[in-house]
Parts: sequence; C-alpha cells; structure tokens
Amino acid sequence: MTGPFIRIFGLARHYQMGGTTVRALDGVNVDIESHTFTVVMGPSGSGKSSLLYLLGGLDRPTAGEIWVNGERLDTMDENQLAVFRRRAMGFIFQSFNLVQSMSAAENVAFPMQFAGVPAMRRTERSHDLLKQVGLADRSHHKPSELSGGQQQRVAIARALVNDPALILADEPTGNLDTSSGASIMQMLADLHRAGRTVLVVTHDARMMRFATHKIFLLDGHVVSEAEYQSATLDAMSDS
Amino acid sequence: MKPLDLFRLIIGNLNRRKARVALTAIGVVIGTAAVVILVSLAIGLQKNATEQLYGIGDLTQIQVMPTFGDGGGGFYGPIISKPVDGSSSAQEEHLLTKSALNEIRAIPGVLEVIPRDYFYGSATMKYQRLDGWVNALIGVETTDLANLGLEASQGTTTLSNGSVVVGVMALSSFYDPNLRPGEEPPPPPDLYNQQIQLDAVKWDNEGKEVHKMLSLRVTGILTETRGESDYAIYLPLAQVKALNEWVNGARIDYNKSGYNQVIVKVAEANQALDIADQITQLGYQAITPQEFLQGINSFFVVLQIIFGGVGAIALLVAAIGIANTMAMSILERTREIGLMKAVGATNRDVLSIFLGEAAGIGFIGGVGGVAIGWLAAQGMNVLAIVYLAQQASQQGGAPPSVAIYTPAWLIAFALVFSTIIGMLSGLYPALRAATMIPVQALKYE
Repeated sequence: MTGPFIRIFGLARHYQMGGTTVRALDGVNVDIESHTFTVVMGPSGSGKSSLLYLLGGLDRPTAGEIWVNGERLDTMDENQLAVFRRRAMGFIFQSFNLVQSMSAAENVAFPMQFAGVPAMRRTERSHDLLKQVGLADRSHHKPSELSGGQQQRVAIARALVNDPALILADEPTGNLDTSSGASIMQMLADLHRAGRTVLVVTHDARMMRFATHKIFLLDGHVVSEAEYQSATLDAMSDS
Repeated sequence: MKPLDLFRLIIGNLNRRKARVALTAIGVVIGTAAVVILVSLAIGLQKNATEQLYGIGDLTQIQVMPTFGDGGGGFYGPIISKPVDGSSSAQEEHLLTKSALNEIRAIPGVLEVIPRDYFYGSATMKYQRLDGWVNALIGVETTDLANLGLEASQGTTTLSNGSVVVGVMALSSFYDPNLRPGEEPPPPPDLYNQQIQLDAVKWDNEGKEVHKMLSLRVTGILTETRGESDYAIYLPLAQVKALNEWVNGARIDYNKSGYNQVIVKVAEANQALDIADQITQLGYQAITPQEFLQGINSFFVVLQIIFGGVGAIALLVAAIGIANTMAMSILERTREIGLMKAVGATNRDVLSIFLGEAAGIGFIGGVGGVAIGWLAAQGMNVLAIVYLAQQASQQGGAPPSVAIYTPAWLIAFALVFSTIIGMLSGLYPALRAATMIPVQALKYE
C-alpha cells in the first residue's frame, strides 16, 4: 500500500439543528500511519467524536474523502460499510454498549455471528480473548454483574474479536474511576505495542503518555498543540 | 449471518421479554382460534351436507336418458306411442339403442353401461295379511345389483327370474289393512327368503281394474343408501319389460325404441362430470349427482371464506398489537441496533432479526390459537352431534356423524397464516430498525 494508513481529506460534517447549521467538522485533513497510537484531544463540541464515527463508517460526511487501508469509505454503500466494519474495525465506547441480556462471553462472540464464524470457533475465541483481558472467570456473568472497568474490558475483547487492524475508542475511560481508567489505557497501549493501529478520542490528558501521534481539534478544525493549549487555557482563565 | 445463528438469536431475544411476547401473542391466539373454529364449523357443515347428499346417488354413476325429437314426449312417456321410424325430427333424436350403448361404453373410464326401466303401471305387494306399497318397481339389465354399487344386508344382490331384491325401506311400507283404530301397527316384516305376491294393476278401456299377480321370493335385502334404492324393488329387466308390455298392450322393442334410461358406471367419482359431458356431446341427456355436489361445494367455499374473514378481523387486531410491540421494542433497543451495526451487522441482518421476532410472536400465537381452536372445535363437535342426533331422531332422517371438522390443512394454514401476519406487522418497525443511521442509534438516549 502506498500512502498513509488513514488519509482524511477536506472532511466536513454539518448538522442541521433547529434552523442553524452546526459545523461539527469543517475541512479536516489528517494522515495517520499504521501501528500508531493516535490520541484525538478536544473539548466537547470540538467534533472529535464526529471524526471517530466518520472514520469508523458509522456516519456519512457532508464533504471530503476518507481512506482507510487503501479503501475509500465515503463512497461505500451501507452493505459495503457493514462488511468493512466487521473486517477492519473494532469499536470501544464510553458507555460500553454491551447487550445486557447476554453473558460476557456472548457479548464478545456477538460480532462473529454476523461474520458467519462457526459456533465452536466463536466460543473458543471469546474465551481466549476474555482470558487476555483478565476476565476468564467472569465469562458467564451478565454486564450488570460486572464493574465498569470489567465491562469496558469485555468491550475491548469484543473489539478484538474479528482481529481488526484499527481500534477506535470513544472516551473509553470517560465512565470509569481513575484506577480502572488507567488499566484500560494500559490495555490499549498493549494493543498498540502488539502491532495494531489505535485511535482514541478523549479529553483525559493522562492518555497523552501513550500517544505516538496527537490530533487537537477546536470547533471542527485541526489545530497545533500550542494553539490548543492557549485556547483551552484562555477558556479556563475566562471562567 | 447463518440461519441457525439468526434463529438462536431470535429465540434468545423473544425469551428475554417473555411477558411482553406472551401478552402480544394472546391477541394472535384469540384471532387464530377464531379462524380455526369458524372455518372448522363451515367445513363441518359442508361435510355434513355432503354426507347427507350422498343419498342422492352414487357419485360414480351417471344417469343417461335419450333425447327425443320435437315430437317426443317426456322421459318416461310411453315410448310405444312414438313413431319408431321417426321421420320428422331424425337429426335431433338420440335414442339409447344397442349401438348407442356401445358408443357410451367406448368412452374411456366407463366401467359398465346398464339399461334399466321402471314399471309404468301401479303395483302393491302382499305378504301374509299385510299389504305393501311399491314405490318403484325397477327392472335392471344386469345379473348382479352390485354392478350398480348396491350391497345386500341380507341374502344376495343377484337377480333371477322368480326372485326379487328389495330396498330396506320397502319393508316399512307394509301395513295391516285390517288394523283397528288404537291397535299397534305391526313391525316391518322380515321378508328375507319369504314368498311375496306382487299385484300389478292396469285399467282396461272401460276403466276397469285388471290385476296380474306374480309370486316372487325375496332373495336379498339391500343395505341403506339413503337413495332411491331404499324404497325400490328390483327385478330383471326382461320381467319388467313383460309387465310394461302387458300394461301397454303392445310389444316393446328396445332395439328400435331405445332404452328409457341407462346407468353408466365410471371408475372414479372425479371422472363422472367429464364423462357426463362427453355423453351430452354425443346427444344424450346425462345427469350426475356430482353436478349438485359442485354447486353445494361452491356455496360452502364461500361460507368458509366469510367465516374465515370474520376470524381474520380478530387476527388483524392482533397484528396491530404485534406492530405496536415491535415498534416499542425497537425504540428500547435503539442502542443495541447501533451496536449491531457497529460490529458489522448489515441492514439485512437487522431486518431479518426483527422480522424474525415479529414472525416468532405470530407463530407462538398461532400454535396457541390452533391448540385452543382445535380443542374448542372438538368440544363443540361432541355437543353439536348430541343435539343434532336428538333433532334427527325427533324429525326423522339420519343423524350426522360430524358437525365441526378441523382438517390438517386448516391447522397448517392457520400456523403459516399467523406467522405471516406476524411478519407483515413487523415489517414497518423492522425496516425502521434496519435503516437507522448507526451513529444516531448509538447516541440514542
């Protein structure tokens, strides 16, 4: 493959809210190499979540191009996007998004049903992954019987189940206490070290320690770290 | 997604909302049960009616009569009065002569062609001190009445000179002419193997009664058919022909005048209509009980549709219930739908899951409805038969063997129909779920 792993070019995402147009992203250009740990920082409303969902093919851009691993996402139809997501993406959400009626193991195995993986193989793989995230003894527990940190680890196992090249995490530590958050960050760092490309959207500054690549977003635009610092400090001193 | 995985997921999803699924399915249960009971009732009525109608004749028989020309009389008119050389309307006249019988015999599917004739005069029977009415004295050109599908309850069905085979009801026509008022009428005599006197009557030119007595041995009593044969007495055709010649005072030549009536026996009841058509095309008149049956059947089909339609209204209400439940469920599970899409479910996967759940509710309701409908139909059947049997014994006639009948196809149909109803009502909610934009579904609060 030529060019970077992820190439985002002229990306815009506008919403209609009431009568006004909200420009969540407005002309964003980003290149991300593979095997990097990218942290996207930005205050709420900066468009960082929009960026993540567009990159994951869960939303459609208003304008611009999105290339991941040599494939162009913005021109794919729904079906192609679904297949792409199951093949190349693993998602981790702030609110875990586990199916409450399913056990930890079933939640981890869930995506493999859509990929048509045989049942035996699904069970094997989900137990392996739960072991990997340190929850082998919790595989039959329902999400309601697990702590927040444990739930997020189940979600990480689920994100890994189809062996994706790209892990997208949206505020993965946002609902967790400090120590659980730290262990989740460590886990994401381990994934990066194992050779995966990880992109985390967060406003948790501790995440910066692990970053090999940083993107700062303000009002739908990519800005430099210096601009970002001064803008956020200004905002703090204003308040 | 593999069908088995889809099936398991659907079962799991229905299982986790048992109470709601059960409540929604109750609507379908009621609707399906209504359809099953009402259509069973219509089918039962039809079976009942058809069963009684079997009395109008054996369905494998066709009655064939000649077509007379313009100058001809009715079917049973004394044929001797017709000019045999019939010059006036030769083209339109189709008599049942020997060659005509061969023509009919050649039609594929025809087993037998049996001419028969009635006795034109009137006759009574005498047995010891009892008199009996003769409703129909029939001559048949066959040695065995079994060829007409008749069976003997006692003795034989074979015909021979000097003997007679009688229908079972003919026995009840005997009465005691010397019975005094208030006296118990005698029971029907057991005529089997008894000698009876047949008293044929005609009137001479001066209006005086002329009697002719025949002594006959009853060699067979026929089983009940609820048709003409129950009241008839059977003789060989030659003997009836001789009696008719005596009444007419002239010779009858079937080769020239043709037979008055021919019974055509066909191999299969479902061929009867077709063969009757072919005989009509040859120029003769053909009547088959199938024709009556057809008209009656189409009436009952209409009745079934109307009854089924009434039940279907209940199912329609249930369908709205399913649509409502599914719409609610999809609202509640919006984030789950978003997640499914994020982890690689296609729109089609999501559609299949929710359509499957709706169909599942329909099917569960269908199973319950069929079970309840079938049980109710069985119960009603028992009650109705008891009631109808009482009616029948008071008013005469045979009691029905069935009042409400649930055939296997109705059960299969009800299950398939309720499942399809479920699926159709889930269509709109499922389409909405399938076409949700993943990011909006994931962020839904």
